[in-house]
Amino acid sequence: MRYEPGESLLHALDPRSKLALQVAFAVAAFAHTTPRGLAALTLLALGVLAAARLSPVAVVSDLRVVLPFLVLAPLVEGARLGAPWFDVAAARFPALAAYRVLLVLLVSAAYVHTTRTRQSRAAVQWLVPGRVGQLLGMGVALVFRFVPVLLDDVRRSRAAMRARLGSERPLRDRMRLVATSGLNRAFARADALAVALQARCFAYNPTLPPLSFDRRDWVVTLSAFALAVGALAV
Amino acid sequence: MSTHTENVDLVPSDVVVNLARAALLAALVGAFAYVKFPNPVSPIEVTLQVLGVFLAGILLGPLWGGASLGLYLAAGALGAPIFSGGAAGVGHLVGPSAGYLWSYPIAAALVGFLAHGGVETRSLEDLAVWRLVAAMVAGTTVIYALGIAGLVVVVGYGLGKAFGVGAAAFLPAEAVKIAAAVGIVRSDALRVE
Repeated sequence: MRYEPGESLLHALDPRSKLALQVAFAVAAFAHTTPRGLAALTLLALGVLAAARLSPVAVVSDLRVVLPFLVLAPLVEGARLGAPWFDVAAARFPALAAYRVLLVLLVSAAYVHTTRTRQSRAAVQWLVPGRVGQLLGMGVALVFRFVPVLLDDVRRSRAAMRARLGSERPLRDRMRLVATSGLNRAFARADALAVALQARCFAYNPTLPPLSFDRRDWVVTLSAFALAVGALAV
Repeated sequence: MSTHTENVDLVPSDVVVNLARAALLAALVGAFAYVKFPNPVSPIEVTLQVLGVFLAGILLGPLWGGASLGLYLAAGALGAPIFSGGAAGVGHLVGPSAGYLWSYPIAAALVGFLAHGGVETRSLEDLAVWRLVAAMVAGTTVIYALGIAGLVVVVGYGLGKAFGVGAAAFLPAEAVKIAAAVGIVRSDALRVE
């Protein structure tokens, strides 16, 4: 799941209102982990996905790494070594908890799908003012930029190892070799980057895209606020 | 037409170097999420992410090592596909792996603090092997303690079962990673000042 350009309602919203929505959704899901609360939140999550023009099936299949932990929870907690073999009461809370996590992940996938890195960075710097915010925003932007580059470096060194039968060496040696070559390249790139940043007057006050909060953003933000407050009050 | 002028407030050069290194190590931890190795005791494969956490603490020190993993969390939350299995999004910070994720900056800072014996970073040659191992054992303990706590609080596992699902199968691989990390820090092949 990554950013795709588009013209959905969620693409048009300001990143700050979308972040507020996610936080409120998580608060509501954790405060109301009951069948009724989660049924209502399911409708909301499906609405958010529809507003991002995302298919729930595609998002769930993208979560395959965390799904086993969620599915296992009620099974492991409910299983018994003797009759009646499965304790439904013990499995109830893990099942609800796993489902609420799934809903929260669906909503956050909609954010990832509809928000540009530059917008996220601007939102971070709005949220965390001052120099710390500037460094955080810059650091986040650099991580986004360099993950594919470093992943390519690591894959290339693994392919080179395999070609030379390095895959036959003990696990410790393989981990050491892959990590050393990854680190060397990362540090070489970091030092070249630092020189390049300084050559271009890397400053605490760069120009970022202007964020604009329109009427729809106010509606979403106020609804998110109402959801969080309502969930905690009820 | 209006013009806008303001002074340029340059970032000091030591901060630029440390920020670039912290960001690149965060990106490397993200890249390590895609590198799978066989697990010695279980069919579930392991990634090198925890090794990246150890190395961030040892190579960058407690402050920038912790900051590096903080950048990792922020970038992953905002959509960089760097969490386990290439996942991304704020939801993962309250998801089943929440405990592990939140523990990374703490563990990196702790490993750096114990390995260097304080907040000041020392030369890698001055770090005794026993110190490195002790620091990484402490880091592993923090990662798995918070990871298990996350499974209990977020997904509703019982404590013992959370240990079985979330730690037992991975701890032997962590021992291998600690050994690998000592080899890396002691190796002539590492070109890091």
